[in-house]
Amino acid sequence: MLQSTTIPLAVLLFPGGVFAVALGLMLKGMDRRLAARLQGRIGPPLAQPFYDLVKLARKRTMVPDIAAEPVFLGAPLIGAASMLLAAALVPIAGVYTPDPILGDLLVLLYLLAVPAVVLMVAGSASGSPFGAIGFSREMALMLAYEGPLVLVVATVALRVGSFSIADIIAYQQVHGAFLFDPMMWPALAAFLAFYPANLGIIPFDIPEAETEVLEGPLLEYSGPALGLFKVMSALKAVVVLGLGIALFWPSAPDSGALGILAHLAKLIVMMLLGVTVLRVSMGRMRIDQAFHFFLKWPLALSVLSLVIVACA
Amino acid sequence: MSENFTIPVGPLHVALEEPMYFRIEVHGETVSKVTINAGHVHRGVEYLITKRNVFQNIVLTERICSLCSNSHPQAFAMAIEQIAGLKIPPRAEYLRTIADEIKRIASHLFNVGILAHLVGFESLFMHVMEVRERMQDVKECTFGNRMDIGANTIGGVRYDIDDERISFIRQQLSSIEKEIDELITIYSTDNSILRRTKGVGVLSQQDALDCGVVGPVARAAGIHYDVRIKAPYAAYDRLDVAVHTFQDGDVWSRAMVRLYEARTAIDIIRQSLDSLPAGPTVATDERPPIPAGEAIAKCEAPRGELIYYVRMADSPKPERVKWRVPSFLNWDALGIMLDRAKISDIAIIVNSIDPCISCTER
Repeated sequence: MLQSTTIPLAVLLFPGGVFAVALGLMLKGMDRRLAARLQGRIGPPLAQPFYDLVKLARKRTMVPDIAAEPVFLGAPLIGAASMLLAAALVPIAGVYTPDPILGDLLVLLYLLAVPAVVLMVAGSASGSPFGAIGFSREMALMLAYEGPLVLVVATVALRVGSFSIADIIAYQQVHGAFLFDPMMWPALAAFLAFYPANLGIIPFDIPEAETEVLEGPLLEYSGPALGLFKVMSALKAVVVLGLGIALFWPSAPDSGALGILAHLAKLIVMMLLGVTVLRVSMGRMRIDQAFHFFLKWPLALSVLSLVIVACA
Repeated sequence: MSENFTIPVGPLHVALEEPMYFRIEVHGETVSKVTINAGHVHRGVEYLITKRNVFQNIVLTERICSLCSNSHPQAFAMAIEQIAGLKIPPRAEYLRTIADEIKRIASHLFNVGILAHLVGFESLFMHVMEVRERMQDVKECTFGNRMDIGANTIGGVRYDIDDERISFIRQQLSSIEKEIDELITIYSTDNSILRRTKGVGVLSQQDALDCGVVGPVARAAGIHYDVRIKAPYAAYDRLDVAVHTFQDGDVWSRAMVRLYEARTAIDIIRQSLDSLPAGPTVATDERPPIPAGEAIAKCEAPRGELIYYVRMADSPKPERVKWRVPSFLNWDALGIMLDRAKISDIAIIVNSIDPCISCTER
């Protein structure tokens, strides 16, 4: 097992940094391709997200006259940086364990909230009314899904008796993955509802709904700044799905290339089943409907799971 | 964050197919005031029409709007025929009916598909457009064109169908029939569609009467009004035309009216093909002289009642042509439908009247 590599390497090269960005863009490419095929279209090449990024990097970023420029340009930087750090905090079972100096599960939870906050700030800094509507929707949605997430993580931590990701993985390697443990299924279900909302896909792409608020906070962004947001969202997919794998489905203790391949395979399965199939099979909810949905199901499920684990 | 914003919807907006400007004042997520501003695609067609003779105008009226591109020349031709005292041959009457209903299926499916796109259900949108594509194939094979089908002329129609075409149309109809039945089931049971359209953009029957709305918007509000029944033209008096009405007057009812009308259109085309009489397709081989006079003609365009007024003086060019399009009445009712609506529903409600901006602003 590669014991905690040096921290800059973890953040900039592997498993965060270049590796995570490429992985995230590849997952997005697969998602777009499969969605197209399911809808009877041919779809873009798998490398389309890379091409988009290169194209955006070569363009200019336009700043609206009424925007607060430092905030407007700073927001995507902060968002991408936070996700870069978060990507280094997600372990790959048997291959990579984050250095405790970088942070633990709680730090990861905080970092996961940053993209939504950054989008809110970006939306209101852009000065566009659609950005402002995106702000309020993002906030409502975040309030709705953060609660269940914290409870799910608390459930897993309570079961294992530790907030350290390394311990959570080690526990599951001894006792079997929580994915196959009926006691943890309510928590798993709540998590499965959380991550589409966090990744901003249909039916929860409400803050950025194209046909309603014209991409909301992202409306005024162009060029490299928009590219950074794309990087942020690609990284977020890797982080959130990676967190899901760490919490419920860590690898068997094999190492090296095989461990990475197993991790990649799981990421792809979660992306295609949990994101692509979901988003092509239904329409968007209204913000009030999504809010009620989260208060009704994921919150109840996560509370239930916490109670079950606490009583067991 | 509950604040007051003014948001511009249009003139260029992804949710609108054509330029129209809504100045919408919102409080939080709720619409508090709507100002509708039109006039972005004014092309001066009413003026141009007086600069061309009536035969050239058949071509011009066809280009007023793409989705009702059969209804405009048809109503125009009907008005001219009244002035000239022309009686079109029976075969032409049936062929006009067939062209009308083929366009209706394509137009209605387009609108219902866009609804799915607006609620973010892209897969359904793609599927509806795929179904509609079969009707586009029928248009291309029968008329040689996919949108502006050029079916009408003064005194008859410009196309004819032989047995081979008839069997092709029948075959396409039976394949699309199953698909439309399936779409009706999807739209009346799928949760994604229902939760975004039921009870949204409600127009009560009284408001509908007050605004004088026509077409599917009126029928969805429980008003039994269809020009094909009330004032039959072409061959509609000899065919069995089912009129579908719903009572709720919401976006969902309008979509369902359109789907059921597309379904009925298949039956109408089948009946027309069954009883298609033999004979000529135009009243006269020569271009008939058009005397001075005036006339009004109306037909049921996909969006509702379309009325044409034509006045001819001693010239081959019309002295005045005026038409009243269904969207003109229907978009007035938008003020009522959008009142206290959610921002998310604006595009869905606007689309539900199937606004045809280029017809209205010509």
